[in-house]
Amino acid sequence: MAGLTLTNVIKRFGAYEVVHGANLEIADGEFVVFVGPSGCGKSTLLRMIAGLEDVSEGTIEIGGIAVNDVEPSERRIAMVFQSYALYPHMTVRRNLSFGLQMNGNPKEDTERRVAHAANILQINELMDRRPGQLSGGQRQRFAIGRAIVREPQVFLFDEPLSNLDAELRVQMRVEISRLHKQLGTTMIYVTHDQTEAMTLADKIVVLRAGRIEQVGAPLELYDNPANQFVAGFVGSPKMNFLKARIEGKGASGVTVSLRADPRVKLTLPVSSAVAAGSQVMLGVRPEHFVNAGAGDTDLTVRIDVAEHLGHTSYVYATISDEPLIIERPESRHGGDSDSLTIGLSAARCFLFDAEGSRLR
Amino acid sequence: MKSKSRTLMMQRLALHAALTPLAIIWLFPLWMMFVFSTMPDYGIFSPDIVLWPSTNFVENFKNLQADTNFLRAMFISITVAVIYTVLSVMLTSMAGWALARYRFAGRSMVIAIILGTITLPFAVVVIPQFIMVAREFKLANTWVALIVPPLFNSLGVLFMRQSFSMMPTELFDAARVEGVKEWRIFLHIALPLARPTMAALSIILFLASWNNYLWPLLINSRPGMMTAPVALGTLIGLTKVSWGGIMAGAVLLTAPILFVFIFLQRHFISGIAAGAIK
Amino acid sequence: MPLRNRIAYAFLAPYLLIFATFWLWPIINSFLISFQNTRVNPWRFSLTVNWGRLVADPAFYNALYNTLIILVIQVPVMIALATVMAVLLNSPLLKARPLYRFAFFAPVVVGEVAYAAVFRLMFSIDFGIINKLIGSVGLPPVSWFDNGTAAMALVIIAVTWRWAGYNAIIILAGLQSIPGDVYEAATLDRVGKVQQFFHITLPLLKPIILFCVVLSVIGTMQLFTEPFLITNRGGPGGATETLGLLLYRQGFTSLNFGYASAIAYTIAALAVAISLLNLFIGREAK
Ligand SMILES: Nc1ncnc2c1ncn2[C@@H]1O[C@H](COP(=O)(O)OP(=O)(O)O)[C@@H](O)[C@H]1O
Ligand SMILES: [Mg+2]
Repeated sequence: MAGLTLTNVIKRFGAYEVVHGANLEIADGEFVVFVGPSGCGKSTLLRMIAGLEDVSEGTIEIGGIAVNDVEPSERRIAMVFQSYALYPHMTVRRNLSFGLQMNGNPKEDTERRVAHAANILQINELMDRRPGQLSGGQRQRFAIGRAIVREPQVFLFDEPLSNLDAELRVQMRVEISRLHKQLGTTMIYVTHDQTEAMTLADKIVVLRAGRIEQVGAPLELYDNPANQFVAGFVGSPKMNFLKARIEGKGASGVTVSLRADPRVKLTLPVSSAVAAGSQVMLGVRPEHFVNAGAGDTDLTVRIDVAEHLGHTSYVYATISDEPLIIERPESRHGGDSDSLTIGLSAARCFLFDAEGSRLR
Repeated sequence: MKSKSRTLMMQRLALHAALTPLAIIWLFPLWMMFVFSTMPDYGIFSPDIVLWPSTNFVENFKNLQADTNFLRAMFISITVAVIYTVLSVMLTSMAGWALARYRFAGRSMVIAIILGTITLPFAVVVIPQFIMVAREFKLANTWVALIVPPLFNSLGVLFMRQSFSMMPTELFDAARVEGVKEWRIFLHIALPLARPTMAALSIILFLASWNNYLWPLLINSRPGMMTAPVALGTLIGLTKVSWGGIMAGAVLLTAPILFVFIFLQRHFISGIAAGAIK
Repeated sequence: MPLRNRIAYAFLAPYLLIFATFWLWPIINSFLISFQNTRVNPWRFSLTVNWGRLVADPAFYNALYNTLIILVIQVPVMIALATVMAVLLNSPLLKARPLYRFAFFAPVVVGEVAYAAVFRLMFSIDFGIINKLIGSVGLPPVSWFDNGTAAMALVIIAVTWRWAGYNAIIILAGLQSIPGDVYEAATLDRVGKVQQFFHITLPLLKPIILFCVVLSVIGTMQLFTEPFLITNRGGPGGATETLGLLLYRQGFTSLNFGYASAIAYTIAALAVAISLLNLFIGREAK
């Protein structure tokens, strides 16, 4: 087992740079999730760790050894792909043993490892089928099995659940979590789905356009996002961002007023240097609104649509053309009125400057 | 209003009325080849119109064998076609694999040259090829001369490249991560998956070699080293020759391929259509 | 990774070696040889001995003329026929489709020599089955091998028989890639079957038909076996001598490789030029 270190890792395709100097420490046995929108370079980063793509600049170390020039097969990693990548012309049993066999692993040992993997994943009965005769969930289980058989130092997953339906996805997510507990091996998992990231990770790495935006434990990112992008990406539904203006700075913090309704003023415990009159964003999560009068200030919004899910409701609303989503626990509350007054509490609001940096 | 079924009926009739005579005309030469091959020479040149086979095939074949050693020529043709097909599929699938799956310096130049010259007529190289093989390598009237030079054909490269590049990359990455050597990935994963393409390609290549005429005519003209088409061609135009024999030879050249064609029509057709559309 | 580079070359090398030796180098070499006087020993470089002869050689102009005549008549007739075959074969109303398909596609697998032999026999003057059939309806027999025009017609008929099905296969594949709902929409718009053919099918097929034309042009430019075997080495009196045959004669009967190479390059240049012209016209007309 091993940890990883990425130092100033850059990746270019021709002249086109897609990863701009990534620095990252991954501890031995950690479950790390790379998350970010499609095309941000997650797969590229993972494939560089696997050795499937060359590193343009910088170094990657696995277990303290630089592996830039080490063949994928020598890195003691195993990878699970989105499309499963099972060899369609072989039985799944042979799929599991193929790599070991090609590398001259002793037959008994191969059989032992295959049996062990089959036990872990409870896939014994299906071993003599071909991938084409299996469902998506079963195929993904075998793809994971093929990784387990390698007994790697590091597991790499590239969006392994994206091709599954919603229910199966939850189920497999739990299984992967269980697998990590059972094996204790370092795992790196790529996804664009923040829910997967939040539920699986010991540590989340948020990527945007080839840059690492923030690294931290799931709740750390939720409670303390480094910038507007991370704040918007982590949490569901997304954080609301309302345009605001700096009114002034006092001992207790910075006072802002909403552009949509300048009467709404809020003082946040922010100590960063700000200029009065500058434009900022006020961030507030849908679940952090409070009842009218219970917060530091109130605002009135126009209701467009309300979704009642039973245990909770989502209210889609606008305040002079700025959209926002409000989560309300008292779901069965009559939805006749077309406006709603709710409270904001300064402790649960964030402030971001025009560049999207967090004002603390 | 016309009734729908009646209109359909008329359309169907018109369709068959147009297509049937055309089909009969198209089958006529093949049918006559067969008929002639079973008729004695005096029957072929009698003033009667004979459209039905007779019983003289074996006799005709004996005449053919006396005119030219046709069995030997058939043996050469079959052997050459089989070896050529196997070699060509091997070479072109390896090249197609390299061009489909690796990024290396010179890759796009190789592809550009292949695409840029594939439509050039064979006529343009026939003279230098002949000089090289016959005069410089002194390989006229050898097996090598029949088999090796035609291996330049690049259709297979494009064909196989297309097939390999449509396979999901992740499949090969998975094997690579598992430490499977590149040539084993090719042999154990890529080739088995390309089997349908290889089948279609093999058929096209075998057919091309079996029917090849100009090159074997030029390079292997010594009796005893001729292919079957060349041997048969030497008889056409001679005055004292058994035409029944020639027709028997034509049937022997055609029937096996036609027989295979009936059963593998789909592969033939997909081979031709795909080869054309590239 | 340089290792992968080396692996790629290892896969490519065997084929490239053959390709360079027997295709690329000869293409260049052919051009070089066309500037050699190959009638002296050793060969001597000369800019004009072959090309100068070419532009003044009546035999060349005769072969060029014959080739172009065949091209201009045979290619359009064959492509039109192939299109008709493909469209009719594609009709859902057709019964016994495999039988018809076999009839049209079978010539594609028949070797040149075998079919040349049959045509030669079928069209022979005194006792050929074709003349017998012509005679049986009371018409005078045609001297297929002695009359230049008839011999030309024979070559055209033979090539058309051999290659129409080949083109029909390609066009049929094109037809089958046209989505059926286009026709359903047209039918609902009360567009007739014939109009559908001219206004929907043909325009959509145009790239494929152009492709067939280009292939056929390249084939016709080097036409050799048919005039060699059917009309007896370009007979009567050179009436069916093609460029391909002239190349063969100069190269392998007279062993004048230099002049033959000049002819070969002319064939290639014309094939490329006519193909490009076709593609150009095809694009313009869009
Ligand atoms: N082989 C390649 N050649 C050129 N560009 C590539 C290649 N692979 C990925 N890219 C580009 O790199 C960027 C990151 O891609 P990727 O890592 O696959 O994103 P993600 O997995 O986060 O969706 C994208 O803009 C993509 O277009
Ligand atoms: Mg990806």
